Amino acid sequence: MTVTKCFFLAPLLLSIVFLSADTALGEDSALITPDLNPSKTPAIQSGKQILLKMTQAMRTLNYQGTIAFLRNGKLEPMKYFHAANNGVEQERLLSLNSPLREIIRDADKVSCLYKAAQQIVVDYRPFERSFLIELPKNLGELDTIYNIDIVGEENIAMQLAYVIAITPKDNLRYARKIWLNKQYFLPLKLAVYNFYEGVFLDKALEQLVFTDMQVIDALPFVEINKPDPNNLGQASYKPQQQSSNQAGFTVSKPPHGFKEIFFTRRPLHKAQQPVDHLLLSDGLASVSIYMEHKNNALQSEATLSKNVQSVGAVNFFSRTLGDFELTVMGEVPALTVKLIAEGVKLKNAGD
Amino acid sequence: MNKALNQKISQFLDDDLDVDGALYLLQKIQSDADTANTLKRYQAVSHALKTNQFLMANTDFSAKIIAQIEQEAFYLSPKHKPTITHNRKLIALAASIAVIAVLTARGINNPNPLSTLQVATQQHTEQASKSVNYAHLSGSNQEQYPLNKRINDYLQAHNNSVYTQGEADLAPLSRVTAYQQK
Repeated sequence: MTVTKCFFLAPLLLSIVFLSADTALGEDSALITPDLNPSKTPAIQSGKQILLKMTQAMRTLNYQGTIAFLRNGKLEPMKYFHAANNGVEQERLLSLNSPLREIIRDADKVSCLYKAAQQIVVDYRPFERSFLIELPKNLGELDTIYNIDIVGEENIAMQLAYVIAITPKDNLRYARKIWLNKQYFLPLKLAVYNFYEGVFLDKALEQLVFTDMQVIDALPFVEINKPDPNNLGQASYKPQQQSSNQAGFTVSKPPHGFKEIFFTRRPLHKAQQPVDHLLLSDGLASVSIYMEHKNNALQSEATLSKNVQSVGAVNFFSRTLGDFELTVMGEVPALTVKLIAEGVKLKNAGD
Repeated sequence: MNKALNQKISQFLDDDLDVDGALYLLQKIQSDADTANTLKRYQAVSHALKTNQFLMANTDFSAKIIAQIEQEAFYLSPKHKPTITHNRKLIALAASIAVIAVLTARGINNPNPLSTLQVATQQHTEQASKSVNYAHLSGSNQEQYPLNKRINDYLQAHNNSVYTQGEADLAPLSRVTAYQQK
């Protein structure tokens, strides 16, 4: 083979090698690495691929900004920091308004320091990964439940963003829109909507939006001191994940896609009375089922909660089940919490 | 040509000109300043003959008004509210004292002070049955507290949104209570 032939054949062979590798890794894997150079941004094929890049960018980049949470008719502005180094992440929120507090997430540990009261609360949340948005590690889990589409481009915080709509295929969940920075694929805005028969209803039920965001090379990891057991103003609570077989109830026919994520039995209130807590999720929306023994206080309350009630996008519904009080709560439509509550049955009972 | 045009102006002022002629004349007036001046002159003559009075208006009268309006400055800043005078303050103070005096007198003469309380309680119950306002737990709302407390605990356990809502008295306090009892 002459040198001239090699000169012509080499690019051809390289193209074949690259195309083969791309096919073997699947359509999503080709776009995993966030592109830090906007001039080299590849053509984007689907909303799902963009979301995949978002999850990767959220985990690996160092970024900070000011974020406004709008929930339950209240606006809460906070400073947000995300530090990442060698696969270790830390999220930090600093409230700008009273009560002043600093919230730090290290993996499943959430520490909250209330500055005025010098109160520290350490909470372990093994089923959550972000203050911004929860998405399943495998986006394929959403395929049968949601459509993911690119619906436009807009400017958020003076940054050009893709608008991704995640719309449910049934009427049992909310729709979401995510605005993603086109350069870094970081979320700039997230809104939750009522969605019925393929139509967005009303205004956003709740939303969060960055008013500014910067991606930087490095951010320091911050540590809140461990709670002092001798200080009554400091507390730490670590729920132990248990098998849902220990639950005093079963859930029959939950809406398609909802799976058991976490179960624990622990005291939640002032009294030491244990509460069964089962968390279900469809990958995007989560629903909690709580069951506890009735007591006098709860019996008197029962008259207050015969209908589905709501706090922002979270709906909850309570009903009596034998000697127990059952409450189903989640960021899903009222119909869904009621449907799930009506499907809950006591174990070892013919209810 | 001018004679015919002047004839039309005269007919126009006497309302004897047909529609087509009137339209033609008006177009001519718009485009031809001489014709417009002739119309004004004929109008003044007609006015003087009919009323025995003659008031000559400047031909550029309306033009001057338009020019002045265009040159007039306008302000985007809101107007200052007129300051409340000392007398008005005194009147407001006197009215407030009078209202307090009347209410106090009615309170003293009220034979059944419980009725007001009953109405308030009833209103509170109705409000509680409509919705749970979990965000406003306060000492004045003790009857609603147990349910809200329970829902707060559930919300806290459900997701981390409670940390991003600026409620001073949310579930973290209940965690402290639970810790104390351990």
